[in-house]
Amino acid sequence: MSPAHPNRERSTMKSRRALLACALATGLLATACGGGSGDDSGPVTLKFQSLSDQPAAIEATNKIVKAWNDEHPDVRVEVVPAGWDGVYDKLITQFNAGSAPDIVHYEAAGIVPFAVDGYLADLSPYLSEQTRADIPKGILDSVTVDGQVIAYPTELQSYMVFANRKLLQRAGVEIPTGPTMSWEQLREIAKATTKDGTYGLGWGLSSPTAAFMALAPGFGGKYFEGTGDNTTISIGEGETALPELVHTMAYEDKSIMPVTLTQSGSKTLAPFYEGQIAMTVQGSYQAANIAKDAPKGLDWVVLPPLAGPAGPEQAANPQTLSVNIDSEHVEESAEFIEFFTSTENLAALNEADALIPATNSAREALAGKLGSANGWDAILSSGEHLTSAPYLFVDKYAQWKDTVATPAFQRYLARETDAAGLARELEDGWNSISN
Amino acid sequence: MRFLARPARYAALAAYILFLGFPLLWLISASVKSSAELNSLSVNLLPQQWHWDNYGQALERQGLVRSAWNSLVVALTSTALVILIALPASYVLARLRGKVRMAGVAWILVSQVFPVVLVILPLFLILRTLGLSDSLAGLTLVHMTYMLPFALWMLQGYVSAVPVELEEAGSMDGASRLTVLRVIVFPLLAPGIVATAMFGFVSSWNEFFFALVLLQSPENYTLPITLKMFIGGEGKVALGPLAAGAVLAAIPSIVFFSLLRRRLTSGLMAGAVKG
Repeated sequence: MSPAHPNRERSTMKSRRALLACALATGLLATACGGGSGDDSGPVTLKFQSLSDQPAAIEATNKIVKAWNDEHPDVRVEVVPAGWDGVYDKLITQFNAGSAPDIVHYEAAGIVPFAVDGYLADLSPYLSEQTRADIPKGILDSVTVDGQVIAYPTELQSYMVFANRKLLQRAGVEIPTGPTMSWEQLREIAKATTKDGTYGLGWGLSSPTAAFMALAPGFGGKYFEGTGDNTTISIGEGETALPELVHTMAYEDKSIMPVTLTQSGSKTLAPFYEGQIAMTVQGSYQAANIAKDAPKGLDWVVLPPLAGPAGPEQAANPQTLSVNIDSEHVEESAEFIEFFTSTENLAALNEADALIPATNSAREALAGKLGSANGWDAILSSGEHLTSAPYLFVDKYAQWKDTVATPAFQRYLARETDAAGLARELEDGWNSISN
Repeated sequence: MRFLARPARYAALAAYILFLGFPLLWLISASVKSSAELNSLSVNLLPQQWHWDNYGQALERQGLVRSAWNSLVVALTSTALVILIALPASYVLARLRGKVRMAGVAWILVSQVFPVVLVILPLFLILRTLGLSDSLAGLTLVHMTYMLPFALWMLQGYVSAVPVELEEAGSMDGASRLTVLRVIVFPLLAPGIVATAMFGFVSSWNEFFFALVLLQSPENYTLPITLKMFIGGEGKVALGPLAAGAVLAAIPSIVFFSLLRRRLTSGLMAGAVKG
């Protein structure tokens, strides 16, 4: 899953926490005479702040909640829809003011800091053995803080290669069909299909950090060691291998359409539809958009998951469901999340959102239902390789990402600095931020 | 060459209007294009196929009409309250001299320097104590409070521009202080009041952060919150319905501005005082 969206909000987290601490003192003073109210009679009502945004996903969420409410008349769940944009600010105010919902929908990269600050309940006692065994270890690790499971992972994305079958065949390229494909294969196919005004690859890297961080595990890249404040950065071959490969493909092979390096992933789909590029690297969820928007004559295929020298692993940043530690109904909330993440429900939700379920059983159920339609088989198989990444647990990561990494990667891809300069900028930038 | 001057002026004006209006034209164009066309390389103002479904989706999906109504109620009420308070207060600020005025001006300036993120939590807690959190009344109060300093500052400039001689002339003719204000000063301030009201309305209509944090129930969401919900996680944007929603959201503002435009005249006081 792309960490680009909410992570940027973490950049000011520390300073905001300090500001909010001052503000909280003022507010508490102002409301010293205020009191809360509680109602112990009647059925329990749980507030579930949901960020589902696609119409089908909203419908799937409401359907799951309705099924729960029908089965549990004493514990009713009320969906409170909210948007992704600004959700960090909303949550930090809600948690500080004691008005956060019982069940919180967010993503690992955004929710971990709230767990570190003690706002989330430890769900370990409520996580059934069956569910625990069903979640791949790497994904469970991404929502585990200090040994406590602070969220249930629900939906994920991976980076996949979408290809124009006709252009590959016209270039005499055999379309890869194995369990994975290597980056070297991608490079060779891109070179072979770059001809007659067509580029082999388009990759929307206007904000390159998210993709480079997510794909780094395949090259053995970690970027960070340690957690929280005790973090060090290390930029070696594993970290620079992918940027260097992109650089080589763009400027030596000339097999990447240059303008796409300055565009977003979505913008890169237009030349793919027009046959100007033979392949494009995209978030897996784009399969649904391509199926909807591509011209009727476009014969497209999803290639097997990319594997680097260290394997096909990609960093996981799953969407999550957590429980407010101040909720009066932590146990009931956890029970609802167990219900929400059952195989059938998680499969339905991920199908609606065009994402990858966080549990093995839901992924298998979805694979059985959808087969190879719209590349689902390749996309779902990539879910097996998603793993935790150190950056999820690093304080000031988002600040480093926005102010250091993204400009440095952009400069490198624009040939304004070399690989050694890139590594130096990434390290020096981190050191200036963290010290 | 002089015969070319007028056409050149019109051409320049047309180019300027096009420059200003093009984003709106593009927004309207996007609102009637299909998702496939919006994600293609074609660059055309007129859509290949008119796709009115975006408007249906915008209206159905997120309760846009309800949100627009909420925004309208909050914007009109907070604007009216701001004008009601700022008008007499700005007169005092502009006409009085001494420490009270200095303190007032200092308060206005200081109140502008606090970052929103600093005040949001105390505001949230205060509103909760008053039973006004998650309510349009609470949001109206917050918008009013936030707009008031700038409205005061703005109106005080207009009051200062009204010549004191006009008030003195009124007094010489036997008018009381209140009559002078009602008959002479406030009518002359009409353009300033309209400009301030427009500022207040637009500020409230577009305000996102307070509404995001203070409103918890979907039935209370204002338009900016609802429109933002067309932008999803993972960079997913329902561009067509978002554009359609934005076009619909602009209508009340356009109506409000059209109604007040005639009042926004400058030079009203030209020639009021000789010498």
